[in-house]
Amino acid sequence: MGSILSEGFFISLLAGTIRISIPILFAALGEIYTQRSGILNLGIEGIMIIGALSGFVGTFFTGSLLVGLLSAMFFGFLYSLIMGFLSITIKANQVIAGTALSILGASLASFLYRVIFGVRKLPPTIKTFSDLDLGFLSRIPVLGPILFRHNIMVYLALALVLVTWFVLEKTTFGLKVKAVGEYPRAADSKGVHVNLIRYICVSIGGVYAGLGGAFLSIGFMNTYMDHMIAGRGFIAVAVVIFSRWNPYRALTAALIFGGANALQMRLQSIGVEIPNQLLLSLPYILTILVLVGVSKKAEFPAAFTIPYSREEK
Amino acid sequence: MKDNLVKLKSFQEDALASILAILSAFFVCGLMLAFIGHNPFAAYGALFRGAFGNTHKIAETLVKTIPILLMALGTSIAFKCKIWNIGGNGQYTFGAITSIAVGLYLDLPPIILLPITFIAAVLGGLLIGGFVGVLKAKLNANEVITTLMLDYIMLYILSYMVNGPMMDPEGFGFPQTPILPEGLRLMTVIPGTRLHFGIVIAVVMMVLTIYFWKSKLGFRIRLVGEDQDVALYSGIHVPKHLIMTMMISAGFAALAGWVEVFGLHHRLQENLAGNLGSIAFVVALLGRLNPIGIGIGALFFAALSVGGASMQRYEGVPYSLVGIIQGLVIIFVISKVVYERKKEKTIG
Repeated sequence: MGSILSEGFFISLLAGTIRISIPILFAALGEIYTQRSGILNLGIEGIMIIGALSGFVGTFFTGSLLVGLLSAMFFGFLYSLIMGFLSITIKANQVIAGTALSILGASLASFLYRVIFGVRKLPPTIKTFSDLDLGFLSRIPVLGPILFRHNIMVYLALALVLVTWFVLEKTTFGLKVKAVGEYPRAADSKGVHVNLIRYICVSIGGVYAGLGGAFLSIGFMNTYMDHMIAGRGFIAVAVVIFSRWNPYRALTAALIFGGANALQMRLQSIGVEIPNQLLLSLPYILTILVLVGVSKKAEFPAAFTIPYSREEK
Repeated sequence: MKDNLVKLKSFQEDALASILAILSAFFVCGLMLAFIGHNPFAAYGALFRGAFGNTHKIAETLVKTIPILLMALGTSIAFKCKIWNIGGNGQYTFGAITSIAVGLYLDLPPIILLPITFIAAVLGGLLIGGFVGVLKAKLNANEVITTLMLDYIMLYILSYMVNGPMMDPEGFGFPQTPILPEGLRLMTVIPGTRLHFGIVIAVVMMVLTIYFWKSKLGFRIRLVGEDQDVALYSGIHVPKHLIMTMMISAGFAALAGWVEVFGLHHRLQENLAGNLGSIAFVVALLGRLNPIGIGIGALFFAALSVGGASMQRYEGVPYSLVGIIQGLVIIFVISKVVYERKKEKTIG
């Protein structure tokens, strides 16, 4: 049991927690925009796998990680437009539309991967983002390896926490987003183009989820696999509720989910006999508890999941 | 008489819309196949033969129909009440766990024990549905999130059970429970195939659902779904009906878990539910929440998943095409529904 308390275990646990949280964090930050504008996008699970595939394909054929990232963002955006069209333009039920996109995304990515790469003995791989060396910061004992030896995407995600907060709280665009999510009719009467704002928010959600997916295929691993998202898109939805639409709390919530995962992996690897499944299910139980707390206070955006149309009252 | 005619007409329109959605999905996928150099007709032919080619294949398709039908019926009851229960997998898993626990550890003669396991599964479903229902009706907690979270929680509980307390002591460490004794297994309907008595149960439940919608409770649930305010003014206790609807809906999914464990798998393994939940979701919508429509939809999607495997084997078309068809079918179904609504508005 001594190894649990060792420095090496501690460092690898916390560094691992950060890495595992990143894809969830990307998707959750994007979903904050989407939900704030009044739309529940359950399709981000599907957008993430599209992002994972397009990020990998882009990198594989050009040899450039940047191209991979851009293509993940672009296809994430493109795929999220379907959600926008279904939920905003034709006002379909968002739960149904999102579920359809998650089912479609998983199968479409798997299908396209097979079409592009055929059946191979060994999966094609790419050279992934390497960890940065931030000079003396990376060499600080304990803190260095935990915080300052990650790849660039990790820092991009952390920077987006600040950006998301700034955009939503300090800009007129953020104000419009919240107005559209709370009182679309009032926003409309003040000249805010409700549906346009919602389209933009769904698209931002798509771009961020695309990045989250790409982190898995070109930032965390070096290949694409069909089941690599493994529910992280849905976890991101939970994280958004858990964090009550606040980017900082979303970071905390993503770390809790990532931490539970990292802890069970490391406990297993050193052979500690604890039921890791119970540890893994803990964040989901917590989410239900938080949801109950949030719902009672009615903190949801008032127009959550309600399509807006000028004619109807 | 006139009322019946109107009903028949709307049923025909619904059926036409669903068929159109399916044809559109097949058409889009056919274009994709042609684009990548497959012959779509050969692929779809292999799919059809894989699902209905001989007695054995038909039996396999029917085996797959059973859980889809039961879960989709449950899903449809919740959807009619505008409750978005997307956690069929979790409820299925819970029903499977509670019933097999009773079946394995209660020492009673099979003839008495089998009905008890059935009751245990349904009670498990009612319990988990009641939990979600109370959270929704009393605490306003969004059921989409709670049922989704419960899916994961149940997945991990199942994994814990088959790796821990319920693991087969003679199973060489495989993550599975001991196998059920012969006497506790549902009988086979067609000898030499895996088709079990569950098909009868599923069809009976489908017929019961038709009558359920004609009952007082069914009517009230529908009314709550259509307009909660109107329901309230007509003296219906809305929260109570939300909870009951969620219980019934989860009960169906748990029953599906029982039927599959006692009729097909005969033991628990990890990730028992697979993607049944999402298929049931698609089928409920495709069947336009109508029990007979759902029956046809369940058969259709069972055929797709059974035939899809043949299509992959003989034509080299990736199995994931089946999932693409599913996703497209929902998208086309909801687009069609909305198109109709727009049309009505411009006329009215």
